[in-house]
Amino acid sequence: MPYPEALVAPMRAELTSAGIKELRTAADVDAFMADKNGTAMVIVNSVCGCAAGGARPGVKLSLQHEKKPARVATVFAGQDTEAVAKARGYFADIPPSSPCVALFKDGELVHFTPRHMIEGRDPKSIAAELVKAFDENC
Amino acid sequence: MGTFHDNKSALHGITVVVDTKGPKVYVGRCDDEDQEKVILVDADIHEDGVNGKTKADYVKRAAKFGVWKKYDHLVIPRAEVTSITRLGDVHETAVKAEAAKPAPIAPVVEAPAPKALAATGENFIVTLTPGAQTEVKRLIVEQGDKPGVGLRLGVKGGGCSGFSYKLEFDVKKDGDVVVPYELFNVYLDRKSTVYLRGISLDFQKGLSGKGFVFSNPNATNTCGCGESFSV
Repeated sequence: MPYPEALVAPMRAELTSAGIKELRTAADVDAFMADKNGTAMVIVNSVCGCAAGGARPGVKLSLQHEKKPARVATVFAGQDTEAVAKARGYFADIPPSSPCVALFKDGELVHFTPRHMIEGRDPKSIAAELVKAFDENC
Repeated sequence: MGTFHDNKSALHGITVVVDTKGPKVYVGRCDDEDQEKVILVDADIHEDGVNGKTKADYVKRAAKFGVWKKYDHLVIPRAEVTSITRLGDVHETAVKAEAAKPAPIAPVVEAPAPKALAATGENFIVTLTPGAQTEVKRLIVEQGDKPGVGLRLGVKGGGCSGFSYKLEFDVKKDGDVVVPYELFNVYLDRKSTVYLRGISLDFQKGLSGKGFVFSNPNATNTCGCGESFSV
């Protein structure tokens, strides 16, 4: 059952205020993923304080790096279920977890940070792993 | 003190590996733990040796991307538990161990970019994409680059859809059809050519890549894993 929107809104805003595009429907996701040129990152956001509490600032910190994905978007697990299911279809071989981060290059998945690599870690550590992926792929 | 909830244990919300004295190993998100039990949510269980995987094999794979949830809620008696480890730490340890490995001693072959197609005539029986050619050559070199060793393709009975592909490194045998490529030869026994004529072999890299992938115009049906087919 989705959480009250009033509770979730600040968690959405934490990413959208950093310029990250929020995808609320399956059509939004497909439209975002249709562009196969260059790099794109999708963050599966969630309400989980144990993991997403560090993931959101970690993602924002990583995007301050010089090399970064050309396009960045987010879907919200447990809230926008249709959009999340569609997004997970683009990395369907990987067990679902949230939060998580997927990096694509020319339409191909090149890096994936699952929840267990986020939970309990501070934003700097999370950002460091993402930056490493950006340096390798962007 | 929990990570987010004060009334839970320190591992609350953390994905952990719970090893036991017996054959079972558990991976799931720790909800709570005390002297009596460990409670996992969104969990999976593996038994040593099932599907040919040891506990260590299973945990190594889990550490890369996580596990497919089979149980919403599991209670493991503490008396059975020998260790609880963060799955993220298992991953980090594996990454560090990989980085610490010495550079390979085998000579690196600076092969020219392979041609997209084999020669003409009978050689059109099979087509290896440039990616597949590069990977095959890399594997041949890794195995010592012995004279005459090439790629043997064939079919055998079995698999989910009736026939399955054979792919191994071998030297030419009597009666083989030889398909010369720039960096090595492909060998097929005559029987297999019936099923493999027109086949294409690709190599898919990347996180979601499947490794060697066959595309067979003779197949009327293939199984989901792509490793077998029927005609």
